[in-house]
Amino acid sequence: MKSNQRQLKNVCTGMAFLLPNLLGFLAFTMLPLVMSIYMAFTDWNLEMHNYFRAEPIRFVGLRNFAQLFADPDFGRYLGNTFFLMIGIPFGVAASLGSAILLSLEFRGTRRFWGLSILTALMLGGCVILTLAGMGATAMTMLMASLFGSVFFIGSIGGRTVYRTLFYFPHFTSGVATFILWKKLYAPENGPINNALRPLFSALTPVAESLLPFADGIATVLLGLMMALYVVMVFRKMRRWEDGECGHVSAVLGMVVLSTPPVLSMLWVDAPWVRVAMPVLLAVGWLWFAWHIFGMKRIYNCVLDYKIGDSTIVDGVAMVASFALIGLANVVWNLPELVGQPEGLPLPKWIADYYWAKPSIIFMGFWAAVGSNNMLLYLAGLSGVPQDLYEAADIDGASRWQRFWHVTWPQLANVTFFIMVMAIIGGIQGGFEMARVMTNGGPAGSTTTLSYYIYTQGFATGRLGYASAVAWLLFLLMFVVTMFNWKFGNRYTNE
Amino acid sequence: MATKKKNTTGARLTRTTLLHIGLSLIALLMILPFTWMILTSLKLLEEVEFDSWLPTIFQWRNYPDVFRMRGIEFGRWYWNSIFVAAWVTFLQVFTSSLAAFSFSRLEWKGRDRVFFMYLSTMMLPGLVMMIPNYQNMIRLGLVNSYLGLIIPSAFSAFGTFLMRQFMMNIPKSLDEAAEIDGASKWQLYWEIILPLARPAMITLTIFTFIGNYNSMFWPLVMMKSPDKYTLPIGMLAFQSSQGQQTNLLMAAVAMSVLPMIIIFILMQKQLVKGIMLGGVKG
Repeated sequence: MKSNQRQLKNVCTGMAFLLPNLLGFLAFTMLPLVMSIYMAFTDWNLEMHNYFRAEPIRFVGLRNFAQLFADPDFGRYLGNTFFLMIGIPFGVAASLGSAILLSLEFRGTRRFWGLSILTALMLGGCVILTLAGMGATAMTMLMASLFGSVFFIGSIGGRTVYRTLFYFPHFTSGVATFILWKKLYAPENGPINNALRPLFSALTPVAESLLPFADGIATVLLGLMMALYVVMVFRKMRRWEDGECGHVSAVLGMVVLSTPPVLSMLWVDAPWVRVAMPVLLAVGWLWFAWHIFGMKRIYNCVLDYKIGDSTIVDGVAMVASFALIGLANVVWNLPELVGQPEGLPLPKWIADYYWAKPSIIFMGFWAAVGSNNMLLYLAGLSGVPQDLYEAADIDGASRWQRFWHVTWPQLANVTFFIMVMAIIGGIQGGFEMARVMTNGGPAGSTTTLSYYIYTQGFATGRLGYASAVAWLLFLLMFVVTMFNWKFGNRYTNE
Repeated sequence: MATKKKNTTGARLTRTTLLHIGLSLIALLMILPFTWMILTSLKLLEEVEFDSWLPTIFQWRNYPDVFRMRGIEFGRWYWNSIFVAAWVTFLQVFTSSLAAFSFSRLEWKGRDRVFFMYLSTMMLPGLVMMIPNYQNMIRLGLVNSYLGLIIPSAFSAFGTFLMRQFMMNIPKSLDEAAEIDGASKWQLYWEIILPLARPAMITLTIFTFIGNYNSMFWPLVMMKSPDKYTLPIGMLAFQSSQGQQTNLLMAAVAMSVLPMIIIFILMQKQLVKGIMLGGVKG
């Protein structure tokens, strides 16, 4: 009796502290959640259900979802979302690179403080004077002095200064920086195109001389892509044989590797591709199947061994293949580009159907170099035991080997965490860029799922349909998170 | 051995210099857009599209001019942004710390189950909740009001999680000592745990403030009249109505980034620590 009373009292105190938060949580998270599930199965549409026309809201079952999959636009926007995520591995690699640079020893700095400052000042002064003497433009001098001052402050302040400057773009990223980039990307006289104009006019003769070989070069690029596929499949089987990856990881890797060849059939116009790619894929998969079913492994391992590691590597290979396909397509289109009277046309960046997505990816890359990921990597790097490097040195490891055999495996859990978070963010991302910079255009080429939900739910008022899209987005994220839970822990604990 | 021998003074100086040059080049790329922004904001409108980034005469009056533009209530938006972000931050840190105290320092039946419920909603994309939330706001008559902007953001599962993780690491013996001294639970929270949880509170404060200052989606759907806009929405309106005036637009962009830069420089150390706190644990 007494203990019961005590328990009740405990619950009351606990609840009293929780109450303010719990009320908000119920009102603004749980209630909308339930409503949203309900809405996804209704035909709630503000055009039919408003002050002037109050038709009853009907329960339509799975019709919203059926409509979704029948809608060709939805497929495109899903594709856009994934396309924009191609930037993720580049951004992560860049932040790892900058973290490694920042973590290198600066020991010399303090000792040669005076000397380096003096050198910087003198060099800077000389360079500016020489430039002025050579009659350089104010622009060149501006760039030189800017570089000089960064160098100067950096050599005084060391790591903190660089870290701060690297982190700036990420920290300030928002509507303001998107507006700034929209101006930078201005097609007529934006600073980027102003800077590129001399380069492009210099490149025009080169492009013209390449014209006769355009077909050949494009074919070689696609050939490289196919070779990469073969190499990666071969590597996969080797690793499988050595017990370095399990069955599940092997099959998943094959699926990831096979995406570029499959999509290249859609994206590339050359007729031979439609024959070559299926052959390549068939050979790859048959070889793979024959290997796995017919061979004996030297070392055995569990089904999903190393799934995270190999998926990351295969993902990088996939992105590289996509880049090759894109390049090949550019080369194929070269005749049309060079044909114009003013020479190679400058890209119209976010105003161009094909350039819009790469432009946004590049902007994201700029913000991703020194993001939170860099800080996480910095923390991870300081946690790598120093004796591992010493041992590697004794074994005579090169710099490259030190990275691949010590640093990279030691950072594996950080990388895995970063990749999962980046993918989850990428699936929901793209709304702000689309709203600020492109309005989802040109012709829907930068409309991502989140922007689609916004236009459907808030601009058009199709609440039921928008909720269905939102839940599908959740499902995608859920798959990624499940993948993380299932395999991430085991992987990081190894 | 060969590598050791290379570590002479000259080699080290060269290496350090090269490293500094490399790092400076990357840093230069990072700040170039901002440099262009500042320089363009000081130009005359006719000069904006010139090749050279430098203005012939620095037009400092562009900055006060932004506040005087017709239809652009820049000062008002500034104030709105800071007002809303400050309230959200205060309320969120307060409610989160209360809930975290309950989840970490008090023993009650069903506590962990409720906490798990909190945790599991953290994974949901915010977009799922936006549509019904907006409908509820219409029903409550809170559309186009500060209250409608502040209240839904005042409660956060993430903040609760962050604070709880931190409070879990404060030794339990403090609670017992306080209890022996006859302190009530509120005194325990207010006088002992909260001061000790200051690092987590500062982290949450920075994150919440910056997140809210930058947030665009919710203000975009909620605020209808220009005098209620926050800065991101205001900048959007500025861009679509008078975006051709690049120099003034850039002055406005520079001014809207300024508070973040100040916060960043002042709070850098705590911020870096906080990212580790929230990030590595996952």
